[in-house]
Amino acid sequence: MRTTTRLGVATLALGSLLGVAGCTSDVDDGTAVLKVTYIKTDAFTALDTLFTNVKTEFEATHDGVTVELLPVAGTDDDYATKLALSHRSAETAPDVFYEDTMALRADVEAGFLLNLDSYVADWDDWAQFDDAAKAAGAGDDGSIYAVSLGTDTRAIWYRTSVFEAAGIEVPWEPRSWQDILDAAAAISASQPGVVPFNLYAGTATGEGSNMQGFYQLLYGTELGADALYDSATSKWVTGSAGFIESLEFIDTLYREGYALSVAEALDGNIWQQVFGTMFPEGTLGATVEGSYTPSFWIDGGSFEWPEYAKEMATVAFPTQHGQAPGGVSMSGGWTLAVGAQSAHPELAFEFLTMALNFENSLAYVNENSQIAVRADVAADPSYTAANPFVGAVTELVSVTNFRPATAEYNQISVEVQKATEAVITGSLTPREAAAAYDAAVEAIVGPDRVITQG
Amino acid sequence: MSARVTPGLPVAPVRARRSVASPSKRTVAAFANASLVLVALCFALPLAWLVFAAFDADSTYQTRLPTELTLDNFTAVLTPELTFVPMWNSLVISVSTAVLTVVLALLAAYPLSRYQARFNRPFMYIVLFGTCLPITAIMVPVYALFVALHLLDSIPGTVAFLAASSLPVAIYLAKNFMDAVPLELEEAAWMDGASAMRALRTIVAPLMRPGIAVISIYVFFAAWGNFFVPFILLLSPSRQPAAISIYSFFGQYGTVAYGQLAAFSLIYAVPVITLYVLVARGIGGSFALAGAVKG
Amino acid sequence: MRTLPLVPAVILMAVFLLGPIIWSLVGSLTNAALTGRAAADPQWVGLANYAALLADPVFPKSVGLTVVFTLVSAVLAQTFLGLGLAVAMTRASAGLGAVVATVVVAAWILPELVAAFVAYAFFSQDGTLNQLLGVLGLEGPNWLFSFPMIAVIFANIWRGTAFSMMIYQAALNEVPQEITEAAMLDGANGAKRLVYVTLPMIRQTITTTLMLITLQTLSVFTLIWVMTAGGPGNDSATLPIYAFTEAFRFGNIGYGTAIATVMLAVGAVFSVVYIRALRVPRERAA
Repeated sequence: MRTTTRLGVATLALGSLLGVAGCTSDVDDGTAVLKVTYIKTDAFTALDTLFTNVKTEFEATHDGVTVELLPVAGTDDDYATKLALSHRSAETAPDVFYEDTMALRADVEAGFLLNLDSYVADWDDWAQFDDAAKAAGAGDDGSIYAVSLGTDTRAIWYRTSVFEAAGIEVPWEPRSWQDILDAAAAISASQPGVVPFNLYAGTATGEGSNMQGFYQLLYGTELGADALYDSATSKWVTGSAGFIESLEFIDTLYREGYALSVAEALDGNIWQQVFGTMFPEGTLGATVEGSYTPSFWIDGGSFEWPEYAKEMATVAFPTQHGQAPGGVSMSGGWTLAVGAQSAHPELAFEFLTMALNFENSLAYVNENSQIAVRADVAADPSYTAANPFVGAVTELVSVTNFRPATAEYNQISVEVQKATEAVITGSLTPREAAAAYDAAVEAIVGPDRVITQG
Repeated sequence: MSARVTPGLPVAPVRARRSVASPSKRTVAAFANASLVLVALCFALPLAWLVFAAFDADSTYQTRLPTELTLDNFTAVLTPELTFVPMWNSLVISVSTAVLTVVLALLAAYPLSRYQARFNRPFMYIVLFGTCLPITAIMVPVYALFVALHLLDSIPGTVAFLAASSLPVAIYLAKNFMDAVPLELEEAAWMDGASAMRALRTIVAPLMRPGIAVISIYVFFAAWGNFFVPFILLLSPSRQPAAISIYSFFGQYGTVAYGQLAAFSLIYAVPVITLYVLVARGIGGSFALAGAVKG
Repeated sequence: MRTLPLVPAVILMAVFLLGPIIWSLVGSLTNAALTGRAAADPQWVGLANYAALLADPVFPKSVGLTVVFTLVSAVLAQTFLGLGLAVAMTRASAGLGAVVATVVVAAWILPELVAAFVAYAFFSQDGTLNQLLGVLGLEGPNWLFSFPMIAVIFANIWRGTAFSMMIYQAALNEVPQEITEAAMLDGANGAKRLVYVTLPMIRQTITTTLMLITLQTLSVFTLIWVMTAGGPGNDSATLPIYAFTEAFRFGNIGYGTAIATVMLAVGAVFSVVYIRALRVPRERAA
């Protein structure tokens, strides 16, 4: 009998060992814990600064509330995976979190985000946000699920001394894809150790590979803003010539050695070298990057480089043959959202509004070189003077494109990345890669949601 | 089997073998020595990089003697958030897993070893089958299971899974070790009125101490070195073991801070190396470990 | 009553091993996903994931890479090298043998992650291997990119050989010296003695070891993930990497589970062979 008792105890002990697992916070005695999840890497600390400050401010004004900061160190892909994993159970789901606009609609469908309609209705600052920013936080049902931290545009960033040494007139004004190839050839011929023109591709750099790469090409082809997703019919485009031609352009860049080596392009952290060493050392001519580029070089940035203001220049990416509107840009951006499983949604939203109020927004937008989405921030003198390129990249809003705001977008994005990777590694020709993409898209959305633009 | 290969051979030992070593035997020895040296060099080279780079102020991925000896790489990574907390978590996870596994394995091995029952044989087959299970293949469903059981991001949950995945091997080993402990000693104890559990605790377990050491070490090593399981099951930085911390360090600085990565790797490897050396001394070298697994 | 001590272990294994296996079979028949509508409300899709697997060009490639990785690094190299080292050590001077054993075992003691970093450093463009080739006047390629399979296979040999070496050493030690010496008197030379006398005597050990390292190699994840992450493209994506990428990177949990189920089936086949191989001596011992 003693044996049985002891075993019973052992089994119970094991059971309780497993049982205690989840319950960490939330005893109803007036105290509360808010979990805040976001990205923090050595090269991206602006958000960590923001939340560390807001945590202090929030805890000071809210007795009994503890803000638990849970930064994730990793690439955007690592972050997306970790965030989705944590949302699967109430114990691990964050109360407030940093959300990519690209994943927003899918995550809304998955039920991870709290509907904020009734919250923003009572929030005075909401009127300060522009319409595009409001739309960026909306789900497929039109409700608001997240609030924009800022947006961005994309352009060509180039090092003037490299272009001048190749005999190219600065400021450089490419009108077509051919102009890019010509400039790259000139740089390649005059400066053998320099990478002439980088355009990201492949799966390793994740969504960035599309935004700072393939989409700059695709959205400048014949179908323009409807090249990926036909807005009139709400269908995904397959079989377009522009898709194949864009892949062919990437193929040329990599095969001719104008871009980074394929091995480098497939390193998920290569962008750190682009900002940290290649541009400052003058071993790179140009790359396509976001409007946030100066944030890495400014005083206090991850790769401080005071000379960037006179060494670097920016210009819009051209359309394929120079057709209207003459330039292409892509816009994305990140938001803050409240977890649907939060035990303290009011507190969480209050935290979110504090992080996004005028002072905190201004500080964040300036430190991270974001394009402001609050009218009062955009009008502030310190914003327009934050770096010499604010004006130029803000102007690109007139030619910018937004990614299709649909729940299946992030799956399609992966297929685009796979296509560019197949092309640069040489495992498929541009035509084959486009065909594989078409098949994958049809499998994801179903045959009635694709439109063939042959 | 032996009858087939040694028909009619005399089995008298040959005494004067060493003194009359033939030239061909010496050639064989020289050849063996030479090939061993070559293999050892190939195996040592990557390790040399690890040690040299960790102490080099200006390290790269190339192997060379440090131009300037330094401990800076170590001091740079010896911070609470990078090393101390994750190492402590690793220790908690690995020790708990080892203790839980060994206790459960000994309990389970006792009836399997001591009583003849109809299910013993099929049960051992299932256990053997379990030892073959590719754990990486079940991580996707394990993740789903942890969500359902609300065990995500829980150290006890992770320990329970690591213990479960080590149990088949541990039970198999424990039964083999226990079979070697003679039954007579326990029978005497039973006569004195001791229960089976008491006999296991006071008589059998002490006698199979080397076996218990082997199992503990095996499980501890597996848990300490495991990357994939905590990678999927633990989310908060405050609960992650060293394997995760070092992996994100590699992701961020792997192409820049070579020396620190090497230093960090060494710090992480030292506990298992030390333990291995101690145990290998205590229980007669690597043979004990290998012999145990041999089955 | 007597079987009660088995209960805790059985419960733990049932929940955390058997449970996931059943879950794997069921989950592979759904479109479960990490995000999107299917995350909130997964649908039953029958065998659609398996049909998609058959149509997916990456799947046969991944199976092929897994087979090559396992056959070459485990079955061929680790067995021959491990056995070779064990035999050579019986012939070589004792001091040297001990040193070599230490070096080989050191690679095996290292946590897998550290071994993976070391291998990454060794094979990278600016790594030690190319440094050596440079000394010989050759310019080495970027191994991890141009020859990812060769790099991960050699890394796995480097890391895994100690295991089989130690087991063979132990087994060779148990071969009665009288028998080999008798064969020597009979005029059999070294190679003949090894092939006709020693090896047959440790046949059982060879089979067991072979199965163990095959199964270990089949599920290697960390080593490949750190060195190449399955790339470039899918050129080193063995089944564990492929399943992980699909499930957690691209969010297709159902599809990833289907790949994992295929791996389980492969593992099960090996297990059956392994258990059959083990059965003979167990019965003799009983």
